[in-house]
Amino acid sequence: MRSFAFLSILALYLTQETFAFKAHDFKTCEQSGFCRRGRALAARSKEAKSSWVSPYSVDPASVNVSADQAVFTAGVKSSLYPDINFGLEVRIQEDGVARVRMDEIGGLRKRYDEAASWALIEEPKLSRDIKWTTGKQDIRAVYGDKKDIQVIVAYNPLRISLVRNGKEQVVLNDNGLLHMEHFRTKQEPPAIAEGTEETPSDDSQVVMQVENPRAWFEGDKEDALWEETFGSWTDSKPKGPESLSLDINFPNHNVVYGIPQHATNLALPSTTGEGAKYSDPYRLYNSDVFEYLADSPVSLYGSIPLMHAHSADSTVAIFNAVGSDTWIDVSHASDKSTETHWVSESGIMDVFILPGPTPADVFKQYARLTGSTVMPAHWSLGYHQCRWNYVSTDDVRGVQKRFDEEDMPVDVFWLDIEYADDHKYFMWNEKTFPDPVEMTNDVAANGRKMVVIVDPHLKRANDYPAFQAASELGILVKPKSGEGEYEGWCWPGSSSWTDFFNPAAWDWWKSMFKTQSPDGKWSWTKSTTDIHIWNDMNEPSVFNGPEISMPRDNVHYGGWEHRDVHNINGMLFSNLTSQAVAERTDPPQRPFVLTRAFYAGSQRFGAMWTGDNLGTWEHMAVGIKMVLANNLGGFSFSGSDVGGFFGNPEPEMLVRWYQVGAMAPFFRAHAHIDTKRREPYLLEPKYKDIVKGILRLRYTQLPIWYTAFRETSVTGLPVLRPQFVMFPKDKTGFTIDDQYYIGSSGLLVKPVTVKGATSSDVYYDYFNHHAYRGAAKGKTITVPAELHQLPLFVRGGSILATRERPRRASSLMKKDPFTLRVALSKSGDARGELYLDDGVTYDHLKGDFVWRSFEASKAGKKGVRLTNKDLGSAKPDQAVDGAALSTYNPQNNFANSIESVRVEKIVVVGLSAKPSTVKVEGGSDLIWEWTAGVAASEKKEGAASILSITVKDLKVAITKDWAILIQ
Amino acid sequence: MIRWSIFLLSVTLAVAASRPQTLGVPPPLLSKYVPSKSNTWTCLDGSKEIPWNFVNDDSCDCPDGSDELGTAACPNTTFWCKNEGHIGAIIQGSRVNDGLCEPECCDGSDEQPGVCPNNCKEIGEAYRKKKDEENKIRKTGSKIRSTYIAFASKEIRRLQVEVMQLNDDIKVKEREVQRLEDVAERTEALSQQALDEKKESPLYQTLLSHRNALKSLQREHKKHLEREKALGQILDTLRTGYNPNYQDMAVLEAVRGWEELAGLPHINDVGKDDATKEEEAREEVAVEEPLEDGAWTAMQLEYQLDSLLNQNLETLLIQHEEHINAPSEPSSLFDIASYLPDSILPLYEDFKDSLTSSLEKLGIVKASGRSSADSSAARLALTNAQNELRTMEASISSKEESIRKIYDVTGFGAEGQWKKLDNLCLEKDTGDYTYEVCLFNEVKQKPNHGGQTFSLGRYESWNPSPDVSPGSPEYYSKQVYARGTRCWNGPERNTKVLLSCGIENAILTVQELEKCEYQITGTTPALCLPLEDSKKGSRDEL
Repeated sequence: MRSFAFLSILALYLTQETFAFKAHDFKTCEQSGFCRRGRALAARSKEAKSSWVSPYSVDPASVNVSADQAVFTAGVKSSLYPDINFGLEVRIQEDGVARVRMDEIGGLRKRYDEAASWALIEEPKLSRDIKWTTGKQDIRAVYGDKKDIQVIVAYNPLRISLVRNGKEQVVLNDNGLLHMEHFRTKQEPPAIAEGTEETPSDDSQVVMQVENPRAWFEGDKEDALWEETFGSWTDSKPKGPESLSLDINFPNHNVVYGIPQHATNLALPSTTGEGAKYSDPYRLYNSDVFEYLADSPVSLYGSIPLMHAHSADSTVAIFNAVGSDTWIDVSHASDKSTETHWVSESGIMDVFILPGPTPADVFKQYARLTGSTVMPAHWSLGYHQCRWNYVSTDDVRGVQKRFDEEDMPVDVFWLDIEYADDHKYFMWNEKTFPDPVEMTNDVAANGRKMVVIVDPHLKRANDYPAFQAASELGILVKPKSGEGEYEGWCWPGSSSWTDFFNPAAWDWWKSMFKTQSPDGKWSWTKSTTDIHIWNDMNEPSVFNGPEISMPRDNVHYGGWEHRDVHNINGMLFSNLTSQAVAERTDPPQRPFVLTRAFYAGSQRFGAMWTGDNLGTWEHMAVGIKMVLANNLGGFSFSGSDVGGFFGNPEPEMLVRWYQVGAMAPFFRAHAHIDTKRREPYLLEPKYKDIVKGILRLRYTQLPIWYTAFRETSVTGLPVLRPQFVMFPKDKTGFTIDDQYYIGSSGLLVKPVTVKGATSSDVYYDYFNHHAYRGAAKGKTITVPAELHQLPLFVRGGSILATRERPRRASSLMKKDPFTLRVALSKSGDARGELYLDDGVTYDHLKGDFVWRSFEASKAGKKGVRLTNKDLGSAKPDQAVDGAALSTYNPQNNFANSIESVRVEKIVVVGLSAKPSTVKVEGGSDLIWEWTAGVAASEKKEGAASILSITVKDLKVAITKDWAILIQ
Repeated sequence: MIRWSIFLLSVTLAVAASRPQTLGVPPPLLSKYVPSKSNTWTCLDGSKEIPWNFVNDDSCDCPDGSDELGTAACPNTTFWCKNEGHIGAIIQGSRVNDGLCEPECCDGSDEQPGVCPNNCKEIGEAYRKKKDEENKIRKTGSKIRSTYIAFASKEIRRLQVEVMQLNDDIKVKEREVQRLEDVAERTEALSQQALDEKKESPLYQTLLSHRNALKSLQREHKKHLEREKALGQILDTLRTGYNPNYQDMAVLEAVRGWEELAGLPHINDVGKDDATKEEEAREEVAVEEPLEDGAWTAMQLEYQLDSLLNQNLETLLIQHEEHINAPSEPSSLFDIASYLPDSILPLYEDFKDSLTSSLEKLGIVKASGRSSADSSAARLALTNAQNELRTMEASISSKEESIRKIYDVTGFGAEGQWKKLDNLCLEKDTGDYTYEVCLFNEVKQKPNHGGQTFSLGRYESWNPSPDVSPGSPEYYSKQVYARGTRCWNGPERNTKVLLSCGIENAILTVQELEKCEYQITGTTPALCLPLEDSKKGSRDEL
């Protein structure tokens, strides 16, 4: 038996697995024409060193600033192609975000320019407080509260930088790697072909420059401009080359985070230059990667082209709104700076520079662009039980029965693809699921929900109403000819895909989910509003397609090729599904939609998970990092499958994985069809009891999670906050990615391993109130972590509101009383928040909610005064997302419905002395017990003092103002 | 221990006046829920003394939770609902005051007054009705069960009689063997030498080496056939069971390749008419190469080669001599049988019969009467008698084993109630497959639309759980069948058969809960215990 955490780490890495990742299914940069060209460009610039100058420049004569000063436009030329025109535009937004756009003007064709329109919630408001100053060589905008921000556009060569306090924060085209391949007509044979045949390319540079004046920049031969073959697939590239290369440097930031989804460290390791960990760039190309590697830059299921750059001085970010295949090299030329190089297959340049300067500012700025994580249905924060597959309606009932017999809480039972007859989603297999509505009602009778899978591929079958209707409406994705229906292979065999870029698909898709057919057309009448939806395979996954996806030359609505929209495609599916689920009722109710593929903005439509992970310790560990990266990417509602999708985890691993899952925003256990059943009730008693405790812990803490989601939904600050977000100036914390804080609650969790508390404050063990001391410089401490122990800490100065009565499901807790856990800071105070609403409807946007603030402050020499105050009335405009309320009525319907909900217990940790009285101000004395121990104000570590108050006074209600005096 | 000041007693949570303070306390504990003279109460674990009005005040005071059996204030408690008009029930404390009316508490006492109706009258009636129906089934079932028990005892008597009879027969047979032994020994006398000389003939030697070569060829051929069959099975399983989840085009290619090679229709093909495919496949199969004259067909190779190889060359040698020397009369001098050891004799006789008949069929020899081997009638008679004796002895021990198993608790039950169902086969058609359970033998999955039949396990035991005592109804409500056909890329198939009382032996449901693990439910009268037993049981519960 291991008793300490550092021993556990050893065990983690002893368990090695053989991987079945199929590298040959996916391209490396070397196998991707435009990535190869992009990296070759970078290599040439490296070789040329200081003699390298970007061929792109602003035509000073074309410079124009709009009357309101918010928009700067100019013409851009490339010395390589003097006849081609580019247009540059820089807009400064209200919150200081600078948006830089560049496109080819009057070209042969049009570059895809709609990526941002799918990601953004609205056209960003432009700043009215800005001044452009035109110089000889550049133009500068000055803005910011302290006029400390400058955006500088240097003309020749083109170089765009954002400067704060004289320090360059972000620089575009610093290394001169900007290259927008213009549209051209195919010429055969290529003019330079003769020259290359004779001379080896290395020695021929001088010769080549004579023959091809662009070779110094573009290379001496055309490389995969018009056609590209990978495996047995040939991409016809009808538009020819149109890639975009752009270097983005952070001269004063050494750490970059983000660009999910990759199975790697939170602080992104280098991919080029000295000390590069990976040889390939990070890739963003939504892909169904079978048994992905736990440490790799390869693309996974989703893509958020948002990168944070961080230093002790400031945090900035860039959001590169591009929807096509994108490769990103990261390197560190010095230990102070970071250089990145982005190469996308198609699309315009549309880069948002988020100036920060704090992590919180960056989150807020990004949330204003793409929206914040949506306020979830309360039940969806409970425990989700999934498996591929629960095989029948009786199987589902049986699983529910076993959970109830063991008194283990669970909120949702899931059905994977086998519920559907021949994988025709919506159509139940009538042999195994003869009574789906009754089954759902049996689950709902215990206050629970079901989630059922609906994938984006439609079986091409004449007896399938969904396929028939989509085919008749002409809303299926087209093959490269642009005519007819693209046909690929997925679960049901031969399938086609709805083109959600086509507005004609939207109303139809929403109508499919109606539980009663409004117009006699087919809709999912064999379902109920207690069924919510899981969208899988929306990368899209195509079993017989290139890189397990669609051919890039497939044609979408508007004539855009699949290559232009690939990364956005999956988001539209979950977007429409979440609208469809919400609109089943009138008024709408909060939908739950889980998606595997995602893009910037997907956070508005539901939850994501890290896909088909493996039941290995490595995957368990990297899952935490991936979820953290997603939180930084604005998509907080995320989690990894507990237990790992593939494989049969040993009981110890399963227990640890439940501890990880219970501390993630989205908490689901899932398993592959080939695995043994592993529902928690099947464990041996000693493990079963631990898991039952973990499940109950999750339910106890649901108010904390829900309150954290409220904050996220309003401010964009993530639910899970890694060390650098909490302590932006602490350099040792920048690379810590295996521990994190939950919202603003003060809870610090370090699943399984050791803890490094980094602040001078006190931390208490959540379970036994053992006090630990941090240090201003950061300090690593070792804590007990036997199997039943989850390293979970409360930061001194926090008040947690929990509900500690075990229930079967979260919906059955709404009338249960609260417990307040007050963890005193060194200075003897603490604060916390609680947000509640009905968890189901959108009435909270009308003011039907309860938002309270708990505060403990010093009273007298040794005493503490604990209060409950109304935050809704104090800050109505900041209470809920997307609805800046002007007033708040504490007597609203929801508040009235929980009027009788009280506080039943208060635990105060870290008092310096045993009190003599504990009483409600203007009310009665309370019953309390005292356990002597270390006080918050001391420097000692060890068991903290505990004052445990039993509250029987109904006046101490959760929705009412009160004060309790401890003296 | 905490002491309470007087004024504290007044500060309590309002408990609905209409509800008794001992709500949720089960009858056996009621006597412990009374206030002391000073109006206090001690937690059941004795750890704390609290004011009496803290009991069921929706606030947890006792570490063991005993003060809050009527609320959900303490974790891990249980709640007793009285259910007047029906029977009382215990539910988990976590279900009290959760807003849901528990079906177990028909009196609605698990929720605040006014939340849940009191349905006990209707529920009680329905319950009794259901119970009556169950009892009816049970009564009928137990009657059938008693016929099973009667069958077992009859079976035992039958077997016992047979054993007695066999014992008598054995004594007789033993004497006969003794006698025949004497006769055989006396009649046997002939030299080995003569035969050995004949074996030196080149014809015999060539035959011998031909046979060795053929044997080796046959061995190799068989090896290849088996290998091909195994590969075919693997590929068949792959074809019908492959999982597109692997998204593995290599698997798809393999399946398609196999289908082409084996002339099978493409299993997942869409857009093509199934009927045309089947036809195409058949056409392909029909094409076969013509055989050379006298060449053996595959069928002949399979069924006749063994006979040819097992031909006794010595016999042939003798026949050859006879054919040359005295073609009309079989010689009685060469009695092959007399050269053979006793243990091979019966095999030889069998072989000779089949050989001659097959040679006759093939037209190689003419049916010219029996060979010389017939002459050692005495030896033959002895061997026959010995064999009969052995068969009788084996039969006796198998019958004795059967008798023992009938009343074995881990076999057919203490009353032998399961004996009647031994190897009774039950079927269930689920659409794609028909499942066959032959009790105490094997479970099979037979595809309805062609393909391989799989064994889902052979009978292994009754409920093996250590928590279940052999002979209990729970023990007999589960059978384990294991070591069935191995799954492709997976374990051996196995099945759990869950049985309950019913008037028929029948399968109700079949589910594959996880890959290659089946669960079959069914009914049988053998589990319908007589009602008297159950009444006793239910009285105990109350």
